Amino acid sequence: MVDVIRLPRSWYPADSVDEWGRDAHLIELLTPAATLRWDVSVGGAHHLPKRGGALLVTNSRRFSLSTVYSAWALSSAIGRPVRFGGRPDFAPVGPLMQRLGGLLDKPDEISGALRAGELVIVSAQGTRNPRHAGAVDPVLIGSAVVTGAPVFPVASMSTPFARAARIEAGPQVRPRAKRRGPLAELELAELTQRQIQRLIDGLGGLRTGVTPIDWLAQG
Amino acid sequence: MRGQRVLVSGMGGELGSLVASLLETAPWVGSILGIDVDPPRRRLRRSEFHLIEPTDRERILDVVTRFDPHVLVHLAVWEPDARAGTTLAKRLTSQAATSVLASAAECRSLQAIVLRSGIEIYGRGRGALTRPDEDSTTNPTSEYGRMVADLEANAYGVGERVGVAVSALRLAPVLGPHVPSPLGRVLRQPIVPFSVLADSPFAVVLDSDAALAFVAAAEQRHQGSLNVVASGAISTMQAIRRGRRLPLPLIGPEWRFARQISYLLGAPVPEHVMELIHRGRLADGGRLMTTLGLAPHVTTQEVIDRLFKWDAIVRIPPRQAA
Repeated sequence: MVDVIRLPRSWYPADSVDEWGRDAHLIELLTPAATLRWDVSVGGAHHLPKRGGALLVTNSRRFSLSTVYSAWALSSAIGRPVRFGGRPDFAPVGPLMQRLGGLLDKPDEISGALRAGELVIVSAQGTRNPRHAGAVDPVLIGSAVVTGAPVFPVASMSTPFARAARIEAGPQVRPRAKRRGPLAELELAELTQRQIQRLIDGLGGLRTGVTPIDWLAQG
Repeated sequence: MRGQRVLVSGMGGELGSLVASLLETAPWVGSILGIDVDPPRRRLRRSEFHLIEPTDRERILDVVTRFDPHVLVHLAVWEPDARAGTTLAKRLTSQAATSVLASAAECRSLQAIVLRSGIEIYGRGRGALTRPDEDSTTNPTSEYGRMVADLEANAYGVGERVGVAVSALRLAPVLGPHVPSPLGRVLRQPIVPFSVLADSPFAVVLDSDAALAFVAAAEQRHQGSLNVVASGAISTMQAIRRGRRLPLPLIGPEWRFARQISYLLGAPVPEHVMELIHRGRLADGGRLMTTLGLAPHVTTQEVIDRLFKWDAIVRIPPRQAA
């Protein structure tokens, strides 16, 4: 019976899920659909480590899915999977997001992934203005501090109306002083927010070619 | 450290027999004694075996204290719907734990307890970590998970009281050619149900890899819990595809009927397997390598491939006269 009714092998291989549930093949299949929505250009990818775990923090506008497209774009730019924090945990959205590389937004989950040498991107607090970086959660930064993983700022810019999107990764955030206690993550979180803001300022405004739309996108 | 006495409870099971056969070849092991309700599944040359019911506490106490083991490898854990239904499995596991751990605690030479646990202990409730490690909080959400959580608590309590090292090996679902596994039975059916809404990934471990971990933990007297998980992961749908089975996509309420039909066909789907199919089951097994210096040799995908190749019935022809 199974020889008669057989799913085509090409679109659903039987070994494409990794140890965190990310499905590289599904991502490959969905990439054309994603490019219909976002046309992402990536800068500063050379700052990101070639191996080992690292926490990337990006700014976020509400409903922009900045972590999702940033993770996808950075994955293809640096040639290693980038996972994103903040997937929900209910079916069917949760399992689907897990297949796309999503992790729960829990410090234990993020630390586990960093310890396992994964690149994880999480978002700062969402803002209404796409040109403002929100506060960075020190608890999530604590995951990097505890595991000894470096933290990198990533500025992301997109509009709800156009495909053009831009991602700029910055150099590793290095704290000015070495702290033994929780001050380490507090200071690192503030510093990361400032560096993301600097990167956003460096990007300039988004140009869609339609000036009123650009004004709207500026918030 | 030669001539160590090792007590294996649950020696009659496939995993117990495998562990005993590995212990027989270990240079540090002197004598081996086994207890179970079933006789061992393979020929053991050096091991001494006692067929004892877990309720027969006095006899277990007598046999164990006379043997006076240095190491107890406690494998008398009944996975629900593997060899016994959930209620019976729970009772047998609890009785065996009480009798064996209490008896071992009376032995002066005892230095370490190594027990079988499962990654079901972490639970798969909403918000549960995708890939928990040994430091993650345990919050079992299935009967089997609660069983192994009770067992671990019991063993750690005994270890603390009598001052011996306790190591709990949290196994991913164990599959092997002769291992009675409810997950293996479900996957080997010609038509396999899977959840369309959440085809979540899981990991498994081969019985021989699990057995090697028990022997290493017993030798090294490791203290604490360790996940024993094969590398890689697979989803139910992918396992179905690898086994060239017919997938039966299900959404919600019809699972109840599917479970009943599967039960009638001889492949009951217990709570923890349902949980695995719907919510997945992964764990970080990296610490096994750093502490015991070994890692499972066979990946999850390879174990699943082998699962579909193992014969259902192995026919052994009668010996021919020479």
